[in-house]
Amino acid sequence: MSFVPQLNERSMNEINFDATPEPALPAEIPVMSPAKSRGTEGKEAAKSLIEIEDLGFSYDLGQTETLRNITLSIPKGQVTSFIGPSGCGKSTLLRCLNRMNDLIDTAKVTRGKIKIMGQDIHAADVDPIELRKRVGMVFQKYNPFPKSIFENAAYGMRIQGVKSQKVLAEAVERALKQSALWDEVKDRLNSSALGLSGGQQQRLCIARAIAVQPEIILMDEPCSALDPIATARIEELITDLKENYTIVIVTHNMQQATRVSARTAFFYLGELIEVGPTTKIFGNPSKKQTEDYVSGRFG
Amino acid sequence: MAKQFEKRDRRFLGIGVQSAIKGFFGGNALLSIAILLLICVFLGKEAFLFFPDHHKGLQLYRKSGQEYVDGMKRQVEDHADLNSLMAQAYFAEKADIAGREWGVVDAFGYLVDLAEDEGEDEIDAWADAREELEDAEEDAEVKRAESEARAAWGEKLGEILAKADRAEADRFGRLEAGEWERLKASMAEWDPVEEEPPAFVVQAEKDLKAKMGTFEAARNAFAAAVGPLNDLKETLRGKAMVVKEEAEADLTAVARKKALVEGAAASTNSEDRQRRLDEAAAIVIREKFPFAERTEVFYESKPEHARLAAEYLVALKAAMELVPRAPGSKEAEARLTQIRSELPDVLQDFSRNSVMVQEWRHDKPYGWWRSISAFFFGKDWVTNSSWHDFFGLLPLFTGSLLISVIALMVAVPFAVSAAIYVNQLARRWEQTIIKPAIEFVQAIPSVVLGFFGIMVLGTFLRELSQVEALSWVPGFPMAERLNILNAGLLLGLMAVPTIFTLCEDALNNVPRAFGEASLALGASKLQTVWRVIAPAAASGILAAVLLGFGRVIGETMVVLLVAGNKIAIPDFSEGIGVITQPAHTMTGIIAQETGEVDKGSLHWRALFMVGLILFVISLFLNWTAQRIIHRFRIA
Repeated sequence: MSFVPQLNERSMNEINFDATPEPALPAEIPVMSPAKSRGTEGKEAAKSLIEIEDLGFSYDLGQTETLRNITLSIPKGQVTSFIGPSGCGKSTLLRCLNRMNDLIDTAKVTRGKIKIMGQDIHAADVDPIELRKRVGMVFQKYNPFPKSIFENAAYGMRIQGVKSQKVLAEAVERALKQSALWDEVKDRLNSSALGLSGGQQQRLCIARAIAVQPEIILMDEPCSALDPIATARIEELITDLKENYTIVIVTHNMQQATRVSARTAFFYLGELIEVGPTTKIFGNPSKKQTEDYVSGRFG
Repeated sequence: MAKQFEKRDRRFLGIGVQSAIKGFFGGNALLSIAILLLICVFLGKEAFLFFPDHHKGLQLYRKSGQEYVDGMKRQVEDHADLNSLMAQAYFAEKADIAGREWGVVDAFGYLVDLAEDEGEDEIDAWADAREELEDAEEDAEVKRAESEARAAWGEKLGEILAKADRAEADRFGRLEAGEWERLKASMAEWDPVEEEPPAFVVQAEKDLKAKMGTFEAARNAFAAAVGPLNDLKETLRGKAMVVKEEAEADLTAVARKKALVEGAAASTNSEDRQRRLDEAAAIVIREKFPFAERTEVFYESKPEHARLAAEYLVALKAAMELVPRAPGSKEAEARLTQIRSELPDVLQDFSRNSVMVQEWRHDKPYGWWRSISAFFFGKDWVTNSSWHDFFGLLPLFTGSLLISVIALMVAVPFAVSAAIYVNQLARRWEQTIIKPAIEFVQAIPSVVLGFFGIMVLGTFLRELSQVEALSWVPGFPMAERLNILNAGLLLGLMAVPTIFTLCEDALNNVPRAFGEASLALGASKLQTVWRVIAPAAASGILAAVLLGFGRVIGETMVVLLVAGNKIAIPDFSEGIGVITQPAHTMTGIIAQETGEVDKGSLHWRALFMVGLILFVISLFLNWTAQRIIHRFRIA
């Protein structure tokens, strides 16, 4: 991996200018990418769970657009990776999917819409709290609460008002088993979650997210703070989880994207450059920018 | 060849600039630690010298017989408390069952006073005329003068009666309809010279006596029961006082004699020198003050005390027998019930004090532990007394504690919820208003707050407490404007910024990731605050509360101005209503009394001891707060 995380807007623009001899017109991409995806995976379009249509997003009330013209459909029951250099907007897009960006006062969707299970999530009658119960999230830095392991896993149930100790215990056990943590912690469910190792803590965060049985799990670079062994376990876990959940994962690690995801979307400077089956994106990308990035020529 | 890596530091007296700067900062740090140590040593030294002096004082208290007399004094005082209840019962009964008669007698007394005051000249003139008439009954001239004087008085009386103010005469509205007029009419019968009351009033007095006679006798008997014991106490008290003064003079005899002789040697005036020498010669220096000889009188009085104590118990019992079983007034009944329920305790205390008095010996050693606990658990703080100074911390400590607890009860909910609101829920523009506003409270000088407490809050609280609809609130209506509640509320206001700021820091220190994780799981903002943010900040919030407590207990100006400064343990028998009583505090007493004590005196040292205890309390609170923060810090 040779990306440079500290690239600023200006240097990115320079790279853009140098690396793309054929200027990617904003209007072209939305036309092209669905066309491509329809052509190659027409069957999956029917199963699509998340539909992003011509999305524009701004962090400063529309003065500058961080995301532009994103049109993308994410199929159900698969792992989709978002890749791209730092600052390309992939995390921002991820956080649009459960409306976490609402927490920033000046953040605003400027154009387009996001449909999850056919419902426009920015519609007036949508409660972001209800949305987030169905769309779980795992963060870059593992962040279990300073509570016991049990309470961490049970948190989502508790805030939904579940009081029965039996129901909670069952849900916690199921979630911890699904996240492959059960055998390691079953004897110390009441000890603090902060006493676990980094990899265990991240798996606990995944357990916490799946305990409420969401439809979708968003993962924002879930392994970037972990060592290779812990990373391998999380990747294994992601592979297991795709049976039951639709997963969207943001990653900087291209090997990871090839290992865990069926589809990959490449973002650059707030735009979706290319989306397709992971093998195609890494083996035979149709865009020069994508090829430059996946072959490590920049980013 | 020039050296390559030579030091380029400029030097003065061999000290480089770098090391000078380092020395300056290090020196400052060292100096502040040294000053802190000096304060601790000074405070500790002055304070701990208190205990030997205090012990000596208490030994003298025993040897001089003051302890013996105070045993009796407590017996008499306990009786006085009961007696005041008895008086309340008596007057309540009198007002209820004989209110009319009482009203008539009182109003008559008012009219007599008014008439004698206003009509003094006329009465005197009439009295003179009557006297003359007695000597010369046949003299027409004198007769005429007498009847003129009588007419003049009659006229004056008419004027006076017209002027008489019914509201003044019958302040409690006890007269029945028409009686005021009847009373005024009957005043014509009143002979101001012979001072015979009119028949109407005589009847009322008779009725009053018939109704209240037994109760009055009981009351008088009750009050008089303790009389002989009190007389004995008063006599012995004077004697103990003399012994104490002489013993104290004896302690300083050597020093005084020396000073007088030296003064005589230095004096140039021969008369003055002689006077000093005479005085010095008059001072007897004794190896040991003859306490045994001087306190004999107390030992001799023991049998008498035993006899009087027994008599008191008999008299008290007899008086209680006289008290009507079923008084007509509810109020009187309540008071009598109270007396009857308190009586066993009082009698128990009485016999305990009797035992103490009987067993008292001037030469019984006074235990160290007793003199130390007399300070920490003593219930009296009495200074500058001609009798004996008591240094008991308890009233001051209780006052400080009660005020601080109220202050915290007010401040903690406000400050903590304001901090949570500002840190977690408020919009940006709200933050920019609320935060500086709360922190601004800290800028108000405490003396200004105290002034506000006296002039505004105190008056407001008292007026509020007098509202009829609020009379169910414990402690309402409040007798004092300056009291624990008032001081506690103001101190609460002062503690809000401290707790608020520290709480907000604690909330800020909770990693953002916790909040995000909770929100991403579909928790509402309030659920997130309640279940994740606040628990994660709990240790910091607790530390903030402790530091607020330290701030409040050390605050001086407000409590000095507003707490009422009554040195007594508040009466907890009213339950929560205790907070409407005045109190004094540890900080207040130091501020108030330090200015007027002699350096090195026992009183001075006692104040230092109080200061040391405050210091220890603050130190402990700060240390605990630091420990809590440290222990529960989230990585």
